[in-house]
Amino acid sequence: MIVADKKPIEEIIETVKPYDRILVLGCNECVTVCEAGGKKEVEVLASALRMHFIQQGSKKNFDERTLERQCDHEYLEEIRDIMDNYDAVLSLACGVGVQFMAEKYHTTPLIPGVNTCFLGATEKRGLWTERCQACGSCVLAHTAGICPISRCAKRVMNGPCGGSTGGKCEINKDVDCAWQLIIDRLRDLDRMDEYEIVTPIKDWSTERAGGPRTVAREDVQV
Amino acid sequence: MQFRRRFEAGEFTCLVQIDPPKGTDVSTMVDGAMGVKGIADAFIVPEMANAVMRMSSLGASVVLRNNGVDAVMQVSCRDRNRLALQGDLLAAAACGINAMMVVTGEDPSFGDHHTAKAVYDVDLGTLLKGISSMEKGRDMAGVELSGAPDFLKGATLNTCLRGADREVELDRMKEMVDAGVKFFITQPLFEFSMTQPFFKTADNYGAKIIPTVLLLKSLGMARYMARNVNYVNMPDAIVHRVLKASDKVRECTRMARETIEAVKKEGFAGVNVSTLGWEHKLPEVLGVMDGLKG
Repeated sequence: MIVADKKPIEEIIETVKPYDRILVLGCNECVTVCEAGGKKEVEVLASALRMHFIQQGSKKNFDERTLERQCDHEYLEEIRDIMDNYDAVLSLACGVGVQFMAEKYHTTPLIPGVNTCFLGATEKRGLWTERCQACGSCVLAHTAGICPISRCAKRVMNGPCGGSTGGKCEINKDVDCAWQLIIDRLRDLDRMDEYEIVTPIKDWSTERAGGPRTVAREDVQV
Repeated sequence: MQFRRRFEAGEFTCLVQIDPPKGTDVSTMVDGAMGVKGIADAFIVPEMANAVMRMSSLGASVVLRNNGVDAVMQVSCRDRNRLALQGDLLAAAACGINAMMVVTGEDPSFGDHHTAKAVYDVDLGTLLKGISSMEKGRDMAGVELSGAPDFLKGATLNTCLRGADREVELDRMKEMVDAGVKFFITQPLFEFSMTQPFFKTADNYGAKIIPTVLLLKSLGMARYMARNVNYVNMPDAIVHRVLKASDKVRECTRMARETIEAVKKEGFAGVNVSTLGWEHKLPEVLGVMDGLKG
């Protein structure tokens, strides 16, 4: 899923200042799972903003709404008839949702309420870690299901660098060396012979070279 | 040192764009440069133009300097992060290079290493700000330098734009000048009708424009550029002139010479001559630049 983190309240206060009628808009998908932009976070943030501006003697209206998804035309249409009631939307969706909202409601200012961080997983409640950088050319079949692109600080493709010590990365002793994890798992899978195969130079053209990417599937288009 | 001195003295300067070799053999580049030594004030050395891998601009610039000619080095945001860019700039300054250009660099997908990963750690504005900081003795992290570089800074400019695109380019030009750019090298120009707003802006902000004069090589090249290169304004008259000529190469050379003379008459700060690999033609193209030898 897309992992996001809450923006500091001070930053949000500054960005909503120019507006009086604000819709705080949550998303029921990834940002709900990572507890940054779901219905609960919308309620907490809207309450905090109301309290702040009341204390400041400023009359502002913060309404709350949470859509099933903000990265989908269908769900964004659900708020079309109420959009005229607002000077701005404070979206707690990921960057995709915020941009999709901006494209759909061209004349309404959009304010992001979260920082979109990475593609990751929930390790445990309150801890999300990166697993994928969407490079567009998956190598997991050859790396024991552990991604050297997203989990190695240097994105090296053929074994650990000289900074790997005791299974940890040189950037931080709390960070596992991705290549140590790969080697350990290859060994457990009895596939260490695959480690000897030199990975050819990486094709980064599927990542970001050439600008924003598109996936076009004619077989599913209507 | 000649280019910077002459440019800052307000004299008309003659630059020549020369590609570094794709390999270690610098003889073609050096021979090309030697052919117009004393006529060209400096050689602009592109940093892997069109994302085609070649010897770096820094390396080739140093080679040219070691052969007694002045070089304008390019640094590109595409291939280097802020550490590498600053490191190269320090090296360039230590090797006596005193003029440079900042370029964004074309995407790797345009070049011969289309699966390469681009860097783009910093944009041009940030890089220029960083260079200004370095010139004041501190790197981009604010750490004190032991010896500061000092460059005459340039950038590229596209004068072949209309409407809103032109306004954006004029704004970009102003931002660049604010960030320390003193000269702008244009795309190849065959006539100057669209340069006026840029000329005026440069004048107002204390920068100078140096048009690029491109030596056409064939009718096919002229036609291709007219049809496919949207950042170049290729007048029909030019294509027609090449079409009518019995000796097309001679006619193209004559046209390049005439355009150089026109650049001078139009009051530009200098000219940048590009022959795209036909460096052996440089003496002929530059031979009539009376009064430029300096």
